[in-house]
Amino acid sequence: MSEWVVVCLDSRDGEISASTLSWVRECQSRAQQAGYQTGALVIGPGSKERIEKLEGAGLSRIWRVQSEALESPLNAPHLQAIEQALRTIAPKAAVFPSSESSREMLGALASALDAPALPDLVSYSFTEEGAEGKRPVMASRFLARVSADGTPVLLSVRPGSSTAPPAGGPVPLPEPEIIEVKHPDRDRTARLLEQLMPDGQRTNLAEAEKIVAAGRGVRDPEGVQLIEELAGLLNASIGASRALTESGVFDPSLQIGQTGKVVSPRLYIAVGISGAIQHVAGMINSDFIVAINRDPDAPIFDIADIGLVGDLYKILPLLIEELKKRGGDG
Amino acid sequence: MNIVVCIKQVPDIEAPARLEGGELKPDMSRMVLNAYDASAVEAALVLTEKHGGEVSLLLAGPESASETIRKALAMGAHRALHIVTDISPDEMDSANSAILLAEALKKMEFDFVFCGKQSQDSDAGLAGAMIAQKLGVPFVGNATALEWSEEELVVTRQDDRGRERIALPSPGLVTCSNDMNEPRIAGLRGIMQAKSKPLETTPVSELGLSAAELKARTVVRSVEEKPGRQAGVKLEGEPEELVREMFRLLPEEYLNE
Amino acid sequence: MDDTFDCIIVGGGVAGLSAAMTLARSGLSFLLVERGEFPGAKNVSGGILWGEDLSRLVPGFETEEAGWERYINHRRLSFLDSQSAFSLDFKSERFDTPPWTGISVLRSRFDRWLAEKTEAAISEGPAAGSSLIATGILVDEILIEEGRAVGIRAGGESFPARSVILAEGVNNLLTRQVGLQHSRVPDDSMLTGVKEIIRFDRQVLENRFQLRGQSGVTYEFVGDSTLGVEGGGFLYTNRDSVSIGLVLGLHDLREKGHKPYDILSRFKEHPVIRDMIAGGETVEYSSHVVSSGDRNLIPKELCMDGLLVCGEAAHLLMNNGRAIQGMDFAMRSGMLAAETILEAHEAQDFGLPVLKGYQKKLDESFVMKQINGFQGAVELLHDPVLYRKVPPLLCSFGQKYFSVRNEPSRKARRLFAESVKEHASWREMIQVGIKGLRSL
Repeated sequence: MSEWVVVCLDSRDGEISASTLSWVRECQSRAQQAGYQTGALVIGPGSKERIEKLEGAGLSRIWRVQSEALESPLNAPHLQAIEQALRTIAPKAAVFPSSESSREMLGALASALDAPALPDLVSYSFTEEGAEGKRPVMASRFLARVSADGTPVLLSVRPGSSTAPPAGGPVPLPEPEIIEVKHPDRDRTARLLEQLMPDGQRTNLAEAEKIVAAGRGVRDPEGVQLIEELAGLLNASIGASRALTESGVFDPSLQIGQTGKVVSPRLYIAVGISGAIQHVAGMINSDFIVAINRDPDAPIFDIADIGLVGDLYKILPLLIEELKKRGGDG
Repeated sequence: MNIVVCIKQVPDIEAPARLEGGELKPDMSRMVLNAYDASAVEAALVLTEKHGGEVSLLLAGPESASETIRKALAMGAHRALHIVTDISPDEMDSANSAILLAEALKKMEFDFVFCGKQSQDSDAGLAGAMIAQKLGVPFVGNATALEWSEEELVVTRQDDRGRERIALPSPGLVTCSNDMNEPRIAGLRGIMQAKSKPLETTPVSELGLSAAELKARTVVRSVEEKPGRQAGVKLEGEPEELVREMFRLLPEEYLNE
Repeated sequence: MDDTFDCIIVGGGVAGLSAAMTLARSGLSFLLVERGEFPGAKNVSGGILWGEDLSRLVPGFETEEAGWERYINHRRLSFLDSQSAFSLDFKSERFDTPPWTGISVLRSRFDRWLAEKTEAAISEGPAAGSSLIATGILVDEILIEEGRAVGIRAGGESFPARSVILAEGVNNLLTRQVGLQHSRVPDDSMLTGVKEIIRFDRQVLENRFQLRGQSGVTYEFVGDSTLGVEGGGFLYTNRDSVSIGLVLGLHDLREKGHKPYDILSRFKEHPVIRDMIAGGETVEYSSHVVSSGDRNLIPKELCMDGLLVCGEAAHLLMNNGRAIQGMDFAMRSGMLAAETILEAHEAQDFGLPVLKGYQKKLDESFVMKQINGFQGAVELLHDPVLYRKVPPLLCSFGQKYFSVRNEPSRKARRLFAESVKEHASWREMIQVGIKGLRSL
């Protein structure tokens, strides 16, 4: 067998986390079902330890592309590298983790390789002709079953949508093979002026297990402090609705929704969020939702597992107090 | 600086939509300008109002989409080109739109092309990058702010990897986030003026594309209701009671690591 | 192009669009402004458009499968008690041939369709380049100079016109601004309409209500449908749904402390209603305020120098117990307003004496004749005896009359007398009877 499915892992996405690993496993098992082998294309700088994290994912080959140009956060050199690597490997399919950043990569690669692209899938399988899967549309109100025929078919798949079983026994990680790429000089190209948010400050909401999210109801520094305290006690990440990132209360990178991040934590606490469909589109896949809102008719209560109708400025301090008590006990 | 803004007519996502035999039937009477495209139009207007130049609109879609073009013209854009297609929305994938728009753009003069970063109905977010690739121009996606500085567009972009400021030379393409601005609402004067602005139409056949090039590469097989989420309990009463009740109902496992 | 319009029409509902359609065919330049994103956007209601004016306005609409829902060939008026319905029912094949007596419409669809027809009439008409429909625009005020309407102000800018037609609907702020409606409308003259649209498979709908092709039914209900609140219920068929709802007295509703939605939920559980809507899916709920159609609400003057008021803004509406008429009045009054503007344009004089022709036309039309003729019926509907006592009385009579037992049956007259005794008094019945006869 020589037909390949390639998972594309970009060093700009940071370390390979447990959820990325299970995402890779999922892909491997889907590929296997269709009779394909799975390899990983690791793009950009990264240590040997980083790649070793892929152990146990059932990968049969690993390709690496490395060049100085790939240290840039810009897309252009990465696109050149992936395009050339995919031409060399000539796989049946290339799979990317779905994120805001990967959509434009997918689009550009689809044009460059004249390949079909299915972005932002929540489930998928490989077919004889290409791939098919489901993706949310109309602000996540519906799921569309989509398919694409062609080679290579390009997919981006949401993390957290995997239900892969652990790989059967340790599979030794194959030795990485280096693919040489060229970065043709172009005189008119986008130039990086400044990186405004360095890597270290990046939050990884998409993979968070618990999220405390603040909305319009959180209207002053006191409210923000309550959110931070609650998140701290729960060891949760902080998210926000568009109202609060736009008004500058929280950093834009924390926005959850149709624009912004799509999250699927185990616990989602929505504080002062009314539940507009654009926000709900980003968090509807949470396992358990607690909502705190003053307005008993707020649509967030239609999707919350537990809804507390009341003033967050009265409820949060009590909640925090109780958590502290519990923390003290344990 | 002359800017072409690619716009799309889409169903209002807040309007009722229903399924019929696996086919999505949006309320066709509530078709609107894609919200992300509205931000792109606004951004183009702000830049040209400050630094001179004109804004042209480009849309590929059915004849009835001209209503959306008029609305965007009423915001202040100068002219529009409408590629009239009768390709059904299901047959029209991102690549298909990108081919039509790129082909028309090749015949237009521009310094920059602005697109919305995705369309609010399909949320695919592919077309902008596809067009840039087809035109062979540099592009920046997910722009949240734009400034003009010495023959270059300075683009602030934001995504889940981080935030950068990038200099984009002309000709180039930018996809715009709706976080960038609050699109203006057309006034009566604007609507009246829009009526006499040039709106050119061209049938797809005049773009000289072959049937093979226009064949959709991806297909929507069917659409289904998203498995619904049942509303749980809604607690009302004194805050103390609410919190006590919440801890009683919340399974311990969600609080633990 | 002279930037003064011959006419500015405020409001893109039935009245405004009917006026616009009439002007579009004439060559006058006009501007229609509508505050909704599109005509019909702000109109969640629906109902029956009675009469034949639409076939004058849009000739041949009967053959179009768009815009309107069903033509009416079957009507029923039912009196309800908690378990029964006593009905008057009429269905006739004579109603199957156009011109139809009425059509059901859903306003968001109908208004938009009528607007498209109007746009088409503009572009085919003699003033193609100079007239337009503008949506998403709120009019701040009517510009008045020396007692004469000379245009509108919107978004802080002025737009001049030789004449203005106000067709702004029940919330008639501009009509008040220009002083044509002085007093605040008391809430006992206002009604709340609540409505749901329940969708069915088309075949199921047609079988259940015995519909053929585009035919449709209207049912009206009086009695145990409103938790004792003044008002009544209705059900009518659309293409693949039914509209079901209640019209409730606003004042009585507040007094009794009921919520319209709760009353509607209960109405839907009534055994007679339940069987009609079983298996359907509620796809829309809406509520809105309508005028009760009391003649006393109609402004004394419907015109001033340079300005006319039509449709529900002028409270041209009637609730006579058989039907709520409003859209037909709106349509005719819009057409008459536009015809008057055309005459004024001809005479090059938009002053009050010429525009008074509108009032005269209206008085001579079915609109005012109906409203004047049925004032008694409007008052009758406010009579608690009618909506509280008559329905159980009739149902009790019906139960006795239609029960067949193994014993000698009694005379209907005696059964009726018994039911009157149980539920009301002869005095009340005679009073209501006299009122009813007068109103006919």
